[in-house]
Amino acid sequence: MLYAFLMVFCLELIVRLFHLTKDYPVRYVDEFGVEKWVPNQKGFAVTGIRRQNFSEYRINNSGYNSYREFSPTQDQVEIALVGDSFIEGFHQHYANSIGKKIENRLKDVDVYEYGYAGYDLADQLHMINIYKNTFDLIDYVVLGLKFENDLTRGTYTVLQDRMKLETPLYKILRQSKLLVYLQNIGAFDSSKRLLFKITSLNKKYNSTSKNISEEALHQQYIQNFESLVSNYGFDKSRFTLLLDSAHTPQVFLNYLDKNGFKYLDFSPPLTASKTSTNLIYDMHWNNHGRTLIAKLIADSIANNLEK
Amino acid sequence: MLITNSYPITNNYMVFNSLEFFVFLPIVFVLYWFVFKNHLKAQNILILIASYVFYGMWDWRFLSLILLSTIVDYYVGLKIHATTAADQRKHWLWVSVIFNVGLLGCFKYYNFFVDSWIDMFVFFGYELKSTWMLSVILPIGISFYTFQTMSYSFDVFYKKLKPTTDFLSFAAFVSFFPQLVAGPIERASNLMSQILNKRTFHYNQIVSGLQLILWGLFKKIVIADSIGPIVDDIFTNYATHATSTLILGVTLFSFQVYGDFSGYSDIAIGTSKLFGIELMSNFKFPNFSRNIAEYWQRWHISLSTWFRHYIYIPLGGSRGSKLKSIRNICIIFLVSGFWHGANWTFIFWGAFHALAFIPVFLMGRNAIYKDTVIAQHTMFPSFTELGQVLLTFVIVTFSRIFFRSESIADAFGFINRLCFPFTYEPYYHPMGYRMIDYYILITLFVLYEYIIRKNERSPFMFKSKVVRFVMYTIVVLCMLLFYDSNIDRSFIYFQF
Repeated sequence: MLYAFLMVFCLELIVRLFHLTKDYPVRYVDEFGVEKWVPNQKGFAVTGIRRQNFSEYRINNSGYNSYREFSPTQDQVEIALVGDSFIEGFHQHYANSIGKKIENRLKDVDVYEYGYAGYDLADQLHMINIYKNTFDLIDYVVLGLKFENDLTRGTYTVLQDRMKLETPLYKILRQSKLLVYLQNIGAFDSSKRLLFKITSLNKKYNSTSKNISEEALHQQYIQNFESLVSNYGFDKSRFTLLLDSAHTPQVFLNYLDKNGFKYLDFSPPLTASKTSTNLIYDMHWNNHGRTLIAKLIADSIANNLEK
Repeated sequence: MLITNSYPITNNYMVFNSLEFFVFLPIVFVLYWFVFKNHLKAQNILILIASYVFYGMWDWRFLSLILLSTIVDYYVGLKIHATTAADQRKHWLWVSVIFNVGLLGCFKYYNFFVDSWIDMFVFFGYELKSTWMLSVILPIGISFYTFQTMSYSFDVFYKKLKPTTDFLSFAAFVSFFPQLVAGPIERASNLMSQILNKRTFHYNQIVSGLQLILWGLFKKIVIADSIGPIVDDIFTNYATHATSTLILGVTLFSFQVYGDFSGYSDIAIGTSKLFGIELMSNFKFPNFSRNIAEYWQRWHISLSTWFRHYIYIPLGGSRGSKLKSIRNICIIFLVSGFWHGANWTFIFWGAFHALAFIPVFLMGRNAIYKDTVIAQHTMFPSFTELGQVLLTFVIVTFSRIFFRSESIADAFGFINRLCFPFTYEPYYHPMGYRMIDYYILITLFVLYEYIIRKNERSPFMFKSKVVRFVMYTIVVLCMLLFYDSNIDRSFIYFQF
């Protein structure tokens, strides 16, 4: 018993000493119902076993990971990048983000990164709508959109599942870095499966779930898109969607074209790249991937600025 | 019917490295020592039930095969013992052999024979369409438990053992869960006697068992599982890799299969110790063998011992002429290869080992290292020993190209690329991990095994409690560092 206790203690020390696992920033829902990080936090994000990817994040005063504060003005050209973890970029140093790379390409342009893991289009448009005063001062808004993930709902509500991670129990468990490490490497996956097996032993599965056809699902997502645009607004002159046409159905692309929604397609530059654009053990963009995305956005904005 | 096209290896099975097993084991342990402590019969029934539950979690339908094999050999044992007529004794022994080999033939080799038969006709220009193929899955552990039950009939036949009249204890012997699915293949004369006699709780034996389980898990999770994706990648795409990468692949496979199987054996031996039962050692650091003969005294010892006792010696062993001895060696290695799987790759693997063994036998060097280990009385090996170990490792590793390849064509394709011309290119891990981690890991593993090379039963043999504690911590830390939940965690030898 003593051996076991000492060993756990030593492992906890080692995990902390070598920073083998990630820090969890604290999340909250602000007075406008926007879920984001508690402002002014710093920490380290770790991806892959044996610390394959290690980077520092910095949550700014607005609650997003960025090296700069967000204070748009009429005089300055500002771009807002809004999206999920790909925009949030915990897997990169905050000073080497997509936004920073765009700023390096465009002179006198400030880039604000409103990225938050799990943000779908409902989160994004609701946030833009509720912070209207701020976003009205921003010249260009780029919204990351994954068709299959980000259009599953037509109205915004706070996702309680995500907020459960801030309950006292989770907070206490997260105090142990060893536990966090074990969870991240999937050591609890089998126990979850076992628990599921046991709890579902007496349950009779109802095979009543409808088999929705792909076409019907796509139509549903397009309806959700329409509903979100109608509920929270979408300024077609300033807003641009950032999407991967290789993973977006043609019917939605046609819809966007037909209705005058602008979009940037990052599939061609990423596909054409001879070197990998992902982290491999993690599907987020690596430094090269981020550079290509930044170039795509910067070129597009530069064109608009020239006009 | 037991019909399916799926492969037997599945993650639904209660393997030693699954959470299910670590829930199951303490329950059986507590019942065994604290509830049925003074009741041998009850303990044996518990072992029997636990073993059937353990196996049944994979597929309960195949329990019928184990039960059938148990009934046949129990009955055969009694019949052999009951008669003194040599002919009748032999007839009853044949009943056991035909039944058990018949099971293997049906479930493991039938399709192979049909395939080979068709291939032979195709070779001579005739086209045959097979309608006789069986769509049956290979029951896990069938090669192991059939050999173990046969050993009982053999031992009774050779009068090394009296048959038991306690059917339940015999059934517990056949299905003893720690070694049911991948050995060690125990001889009845060793395991049966322990099952029939009262076991006592020894603290040191329990600790020793737990140590072996820990070390086995390390070898499985850290060594075998972590390098598995690299080996899979290289062997699957061997046609596009450089020579240097192929050498890396087959070398790592050597460590993978060793870590996997010896890890399993350690966990099996350790688990048995928890129940007061000592199983035979299955591996004695084969990577430090100084010739092929020594390698076979250190690798999968229980199978080699089985073949030696029940096939090689009855065939005459090395007592006759050199030619007859060579014939016997060839038979043993070919049968051993075929035992591993119904594929020509295994037969070639066995033949390769026979060819490597025969020169050692002819030089009379097949038993010279039987009771010693490399650097027996010194800290470091001599240059000669180092050279011998490296040469043996290269031979064994080369043979594993046959062992690992999907088909004989793939094996020769691999060898062909390995030989002409030599090309080099850096290799990158298929999942993006740093390769240097694995090189360091394997180096440290070999060094550690060298340190503990004299006693395979005590991987943490240090006298100092502090050193032992540090080693435990390092081993667990390595498991945390190399564990990957996305990797298939099946044991390689389950397919045999």
